[in-house]
Amino acid sequence: MGTGVAQVISLSPARHRDDVLTGEGLLPVLPALRELLPGGGLQRGSVVTSGDWGLLALALAAGAVADGAWCAIVGVPAVGVRAAAQAGLDPDRVLLVAEPGPGWAQVVASLLDGFDIVLLRPPEQPTAQLRRKLEAAARRYGSVLVIAGDWPGAHSRLLVTDTEWTGIGAGYGRLRARKAQVIAAGRGAGERPRSAWLWLPGRDGAVTAAAEPAGIAGIDYSGTTLAGPGEPLVSSG
Amino acid sequence: MTGRTAAGRRVLVLRCPDWLATNGPHGASMPGDSAAGDSAAARAFEPVVAIVENFCPQVEVLRPGVCAIAARGPARYFGSEAELARKLTEAVGRSGFTCQAGVADGLFAAALAARTGPTGLLVPPGETPEFLAGFPVGVLDMPELCELLPRLGIETLGQLAVLPAAEAASRFGPPGKLASRLARGLDPRPLIPRPPAADLSVQLEFDPPAEQSEPAIFAAKALADQMHDRLAAAGFACVRIQVQVRCADGQELSRLWRHDGLLSALAVAERVRWQLDGWRGTAGITLLRLVPDQLVRATGRQLALWGDSVPSDRVARAAIRVQAMLGHDRVTRPVLAGGRRPAEQVLLVPFGDAGEPQRPADRPWPDQIPAPAPATVFGMPLAASVTDDSGRDVTVSGRAQLSASPAWLAAAGGPVRAVTAWAGPWPVTERWWDPRYVRRQARFQLVTEDGAAWLAAVQEGRWLLEARYD
Repeated sequence: MGTGVAQVISLSPARHRDDVLTGEGLLPVLPALRELLPGGGLQRGSVVTSGDWGLLALALAAGAVADGAWCAIVGVPAVGVRAAAQAGLDPDRVLLVAEPGPGWAQVVASLLDGFDIVLLRPPEQPTAQLRRKLEAAARRYGSVLVIAGDWPGAHSRLLVTDTEWTGIGAGYGRLRARKAQVIAAGRGAGERPRSAWLWLPGRDGAVTAAAEPAGIAGIDYSGTTLAGPGEPLVSSG
Repeated sequence: MTGRTAAGRRVLVLRCPDWLATNGPHGASMPGDSAAGDSAAARAFEPVVAIVENFCPQVEVLRPGVCAIAARGPARYFGSEAELARKLTEAVGRSGFTCQAGVADGLFAAALAARTGPTGLLVPPGETPEFLAGFPVGVLDMPELCELLPRLGIETLGQLAVLPAAEAASRFGPPGKLASRLARGLDPRPLIPRPPAADLSVQLEFDPPAEQSEPAIFAAKALADQMHDRLAAAGFACVRIQVQVRCADGQELSRLWRHDGLLSALAVAERVRWQLDGWRGTAGITLLRLVPDQLVRATGRQLALWGDSVPSDRVARAAIRVQAMLGHDRVTRPVLAGGRRPAEQVLLVPFGDAGEPQRPADRPWPDQIPAPAPATVFGMPLAASVTDDSGRDVTVSGRAQLSASPAWLAAAGGPVRAVTAWAGPWPVTERWWDPRYVRRQARFQLVTEDGAAWLAAVQEGRWLLEARYD
């Protein structure tokens, strides 16, 4: 039965899709992130990088998790779970494997068969062979691998470039929100780079679209009104 | 034969107080995760269960540290209930555990009897209602009812027991009915006297024998699903579940676990894991069998242990597979908990265990850091040095006065970065009522030239970085 194997492989992603999510092979993302990704979502079976570990990686998974997906976070012992929750990533649907050990690639491959999104900070620079293995696993199971770090051959690369904290000054206020520019590059040579300004995070911790800073490039005055001097950091509880 | 009257069966409960003190949910008051401790304790409790098993083959593990047996048969064998309790506590004592034994009519009373006095108490047959009468209603472990009843003047189980059962049921609903039964020394729900015609047990044979416990744990989950389906189809729930494991060399290991219709398939698989971890047979496993024990009519109680997010089979399978590679405790689910420091606000519960935070998140925690929360929270704060323009360490006085503005930050041997914005100090005193855990800090937020922002604290003159906003 020569067609048997091929059939099984081609059926496999479909089996996963009907488990929780919408079809089309796209996992939804937060509205603010849509214009950064080709198709407006995370392509199942793809690899996406988010630069160094940070809120952007968590935010990338938030939209799909809100839609019923499950997310595993591998190799990040210091995940800010509350920040994840504020960004919309429900901790109830998160699995943490803080220290995946020397066999981390096998751990990730196993998780890709089961979790719709795996956020990975590789403990070491993976060899080309390991990368191919994990890319194949993501394709086979129709999951998305989000890498905090470098991954040659990723389908999309997101990077936080300019950032500006608001609400805090020299000895007054407190951290209120961060306006950040995120640029995204695709793999195809002809694909244009995309860019968006985000609140990463906003005042309540959510990740939303922000207006492009007006006025002199790189200087943002919008935050100076957010907090007055001497405002307490403690919440009134 | 008083034991066969309405007061129900004679039950002996064995309780290891030291165990509960070190492992139990109400034990040591240090902040920590009781859930992780629970499972580890369950595994380590296995030797005690094995000793009890020598007295009575049907041991029911209520939770780690507490188990129960039906007292009638063994008591007849050893001469009396007192003799049985004495022999049992001695045998357990010889293995290095102190324990208390209580005997009474029904499980609830026996559990209370075990907690009474240093060695537990034997309540003679038929005297259980009198024994229970003096206890406050708080022992019922039904928070809502326990709050309501004293306000109505019902403060003890005795006062509750004199209320007609029908009145209690109509006034307080199903919990009232249950409470009323317990207060009168009856079993919580009447057992179905005759087992149903169909065999509701499920089993799986392993050929070739499974050399490791993982395949059996996998299979247990599917079996439990199957068993739940059969029970549901027949309209039953089970109070206990018996897990039987047979090995290639003919050895059999059987355990009873409390179920109450509440264990998810995953939770049943977890019980199987505990059972197999605590007992390492030399030969492979040839048979796994789950037998529902003590059937009751299903009352529509939900079979959810996870709240809204029940992992699908695929998710659970992947998680269990990784647990098999790395170890049970290294694959966790985060649960938000209360606390003032970011690192305290998350409890990591091993996948498959049920965990409730000791410090609930939905209470007001004054001095909690307001939103937005940091995306990186260091489990152990990083040592740092913060200096002013002239390179001197920045210090904070007892009155929260800064020696100078922070100008430079170097984190744990990292590069020195210029501080572009900062705020603080915010003094925080935690647990000032308890000199053992009191902690005084002055908190800061710092932004460095690379755009990173930090949550820092000065504690006992040292700068610590607790989290990074990135």
